[in-house]
Amino acid sequence: MNRRAIVCGSVAVVVGMALIWFGTPQILAAQSAGAATPAPAPAKVTIGAKPVKSSTAASSNRAAAPSAPQLISVGPVTDVDVHKAFGSKTAPVIMEVFSDFQCPACKTLYLATNRQTMDNYVSTGKVYLIHRDFPLPMHAHSKVAASYARAAAHIGKVEPVEQALFENQEKWEATGDVDGTVAAVLSAAEMKKVRDLVKAGTLEPLIEKDVVLGKIHNVNQTPTTVFYAKGQTYPYAGQISYEFLKQFLDQLLAQK
Amino acid sequence: MMQSSPMNFRRVVIWIGRLVLAGIFIYAGYAKLTMGMHPRPPIGVALTFFQLSVDSYQILPPWGVQFVAKTLPFAEIALGVLLLIGFGLRIWATLITLLIVGFFAAVLRAYLLHMQINCGCFATPEPVTLQKVFEDGALAALAILMTVFAFIEARKPHPWSSESGAEKASA
Repeated sequence: MNRRAIVCGSVAVVVGMALIWFGTPQILAAQSAGAATPAPAPAKVTIGAKPVKSSTAASSNRAAAPSAPQLISVGPVTDVDVHKAFGSKTAPVIMEVFSDFQCPACKTLYLATNRQTMDNYVSTGKVYLIHRDFPLPMHAHSKVAASYARAAAHIGKVEPVEQALFENQEKWEATGDVDGTVAAVLSAAEMKKVRDLVKAGTLEPLIEKDVVLGKIHNVNQTPTTVFYAKGQTYPYAGQISYEFLKQFLDQLLAQK
Repeated sequence: MMQSSPMNFRRVVIWIGRLVLAGIFIYAGYAKLTMGMHPRPPIGVALTFFQLSVDSYQILPPWGVQFVAKTLPFAEIALGVLLLIGFGLRIWATLITLLIVGFFAAVLRAYLLHMQINCGCFATPEPVTLQKVFEDGALAALAILMTVFAFIEARKPHPWSSESGAEKASA
């Protein structure tokens, strides 16, 4: 083995390893930067910022009349649409879920994990759960589904509509009939309000705002869940089983 | 008579493997325990957070997930340090190779099954992509080469041993 071959081989291996190492997405920088990372040209959204007194979105059947979009800040989390947030705003742990109605993993997360979390942590005031819309461009109907779900949230029907959309995901994914899926769980009067809101497009900026926030958090897949507790941020991408989520939440809640 | 170590190709690969893999292992273990945060979260929080990633591969039963999540970060740091020290190199190189091949198999399986999961390699959100599969494959190849070469080199007399010793060893 001559010396030149050894040197060339070594250099090639080192350069290759360096390319592999530094070629990965800049996760660490994104992590350390957190919410302070500049947003990729966020769209300017005109929205109301008046805080609301209601502590939960799910618990109340809100006035049927479409209300102006209201965004609040809860702890370190800004631009929270109270209609898509659940639990006590003073909860020690905040869970922010970036989700796409057409993504199978989001369906699993919603049906298998988040509903139990709602029952055992959100309704008991331990966790404040924020649902962010992050419709992926690769999914043809997810933006429409997000619009319907957002409109339903603004007439106080977020839970039945989200549940219907996730449970019937395969059906409306194949047919594109989001409207019919939502109509199946709402009354005619409610459905009219939802359709009016979707048609008016007044809630679209809220979805766009969620997408911008997701990009700030470097969300590159759905579902992505960001946990906030004791001033620290824990982003997690992918499915979560309830058993291990429970252990993690218990650890967060046990922190002094 | 003492002489300098001749750096043949195998020895170069062993050295590169030791440095690269030890660095990655120590960093990966440290990242899992600190999650890149300042101040770092309690160890219990970090380890239960890592459990989410281990579980998402859907390979291990719950007790296996807990065992791996609670021991792997410490094992990675320990193996990285031992690999750097180099004493008992073949043992540590073999263990690290087995681990890396295991990681590679898990990541490849997740990629082929289109699992939308978090790699969990460095306790940060990182989807399992083709690039990640290649990264792990390259590391596995390096680890295998390093280990095989370490065994081959160990059969030869050490270049720093005395000539008489070397002759005895060769005889």
